[in-house]
Amino acid sequence: MRYGTFVSTYKIQRSKLSYNLLTPKPDPNNKKSLRPERINASLRDVYALLAPYIGVRIKDQLQAVVPLALYLGLFQVFVLDYPIQEATVLCLGLVAVIIGLAVFMEGLNSGLMPFGNIIGTNLPAKAAMPVVLVVLGMLGVGVTFAEPAIGALQAFGSSIDVMKAPYLFELLNNWTLPLVLMVGAGVGFAAILGTVRFIYGWSLKPLIYVSVIPLGLLSTFFWLTPDLRSILGLAWDCGAVTTGPVTVPLVLAIGIGIANSAGKGNSSLSGFGVVTLASLFPIMAVLLLTLFVYSQITPDQIIGNAAAVKDAVSSQVSVWEQTPLVEIILGVRAIVPLVLFLGFVLFVVLRSKLTNTLVTVYGLSLCVIGMCIFNIGLTYGLGAMGTQTGEGLPGAFIQTSLVASSPIFSNLVGIIVVILFAFVLGFGATLAEPALNALGLTVQKLTNGAFKKEMLMYSVAIGVAVGISLGVAKLVLDLDLATLLLPLYVTGLTLTALSSEEFVNVAWDSAGVTTGPVTVPLVLAMGLGLGKAVSATEGFGILSLASICPIIAVLTMGLLIKIQQKSKSPA
Amino acid sequence: MADRHIIYLTNVKMITCVLQNGLGEDVLEAAKNAGAQGATISYAQGTGIRDRMGLLGVTIDEQKEVLRLIVSDDQADRVFEAIYLAGRLDTPGKGIMYVSNLENVATHIPQGVLDAVSE
Repeated sequence: MRYGTFVSTYKIQRSKLSYNLLTPKPDPNNKKSLRPERINASLRDVYALLAPYIGVRIKDQLQAVVPLALYLGLFQVFVLDYPIQEATVLCLGLVAVIIGLAVFMEGLNSGLMPFGNIIGTNLPAKAAMPVVLVVLGMLGVGVTFAEPAIGALQAFGSSIDVMKAPYLFELLNNWTLPLVLMVGAGVGFAAILGTVRFIYGWSLKPLIYVSVIPLGLLSTFFWLTPDLRSILGLAWDCGAVTTGPVTVPLVLAIGIGIANSAGKGNSSLSGFGVVTLASLFPIMAVLLLTLFVYSQITPDQIIGNAAAVKDAVSSQVSVWEQTPLVEIILGVRAIVPLVLFLGFVLFVVLRSKLTNTLVTVYGLSLCVIGMCIFNIGLTYGLGAMGTQTGEGLPGAFIQTSLVASSPIFSNLVGIIVVILFAFVLGFGATLAEPALNALGLTVQKLTNGAFKKEMLMYSVAIGVAVGISLGVAKLVLDLDLATLLLPLYVTGLTLTALSSEEFVNVAWDSAGVTTGPVTVPLVLAMGLGLGKAVSATEGFGILSLASICPIIAVLTMGLLIKIQQKSKSPA
Repeated sequence: MADRHIIYLTNVKMITCVLQNGLGEDVLEAAKNAGAQGATISYAQGTGIRDRMGLLGVTIDEQKEVLRLIVSDDQADRVFEAIYLAGRLDTPGKGIMYVSNLENVATHIPQGVLDAVSE
């Protein structure tokens, strides 16, 4: 028996108190006196309320960040024998990530989500369907800006070598705003199409074919054009970046609200599909934007401009471009437009009110503050950590200046070690993702237990692990992304044609769900660091492979279950 | 047709416990250790205290878990206390619980249990 239990058992004192003494008595002089008064909490009560409130939220993020960071750090120190650089800054950065995410997620739940829910339920009743869809599309742009991981794309832009990939450099340095806008437009279009799909109950399969086949053709064109080939990695990675903790719940809340009011929201599958489309259309949008840039400017001009800018920048860096101001500006810029837009829809279009203004304002402030802290952590924590490990990884198989005892292993063994490292990283990071657990539960319910939660989680995790390993292998062995992606997507499409609607929905959504705000920056930074160290053209593409592989894994698992059930049923 | 027989259980109480979302599991475990057979769990929205606390109200989750446990007279106090302690209801914002008397409870009672009682 625990001593604590013993003590508390014997310390209970029982006494009685009449509730009559606590309730207000009618006062003939004051009509309002019966209404319960505002509570003034004592300092002790405030502590008792705040401690678990903060504790639970920090704990959630600790669980997401610490195991990953430990794994990376231990691998770097003990396997690569490459001491962690600037360990203090790195730790502070990770602390910033944890606190930033905790604050941001709480802000999302108490600030942004009420907006989404109110708009979702009220908008369809008060506005015509085209207006509703336009609002939804614009929302797609807003949520993309607010997505924490999108900052990672912008943050790593400067690491691109302009000589090797001029268009990639141009896009990530001078076209960041149009880039994010186009990605947002892709998400917005996906939100519209996904909602229309809810309303009319369309099957997801044809939508997948219609989106993936042009994507494949366009990508083939890019692949055949030498100047554009380096863009493919970025474009396909964008799909994974966009479907994060802001986009998915907000778009779903509004989409499902609309579908419900149209009377078609009851299907067990409503809610699925938006994530899939939101991870496909941005790819298309980025490719189209690149085509536009391609028609505007030649590689030589870009290289010329970059050289000119470099000279200008090195002379002066303004205060606004230094930490922490730049992160704060980025954070404010990410959230405020979305809030203004949601506010406009709610107050001007709907002429509605918020149920609890104080709490909403509090939540929105938390969003902004959290985003700013997270941005700082992104640069100094996750980004730095991923870059370091990425740069150190080649030390396992080739001679590098960073790792003293490199090459640690012979060429082949070293590459296997690196790929194994990537596999475990992908597997662990995916299993730790809370969104996957939720998806697993939904799927288990949908399929009446035929598809167990654990089965989904493990097949997605193995898929991501294989994807990240492939991505790392691509960088290390200098494979071509398109020659990996295209066959995988062909396989995915073939399996889609063979599978039933439920599994198609689940499988294609599972990819978007798994890439959260911790995994994305870490993997992106690692890819870029690794790419730099092995002097590959660019380090993108890992995430895109980590998106298609789980789709194939889940579809295969679904087909296996189907075959199993068939072989059982005749007997 | 075989004879149908209803056994009316007496001396039954129900403990209802409204808890902040996420606390249910610990409480249920403690209640089971104190002898409760099981519980019916439902999810509900709470209102009241949250709105009267101003900004501090955000620390109290709107989502509530409602546990309903059917216990015998003998068990009632023990389970009640176990829940109170496990749920730490003496700290603010955790939840509320109450006991009510139940009349005429009926359910399937296994023959083995009936035999054991009549001996």
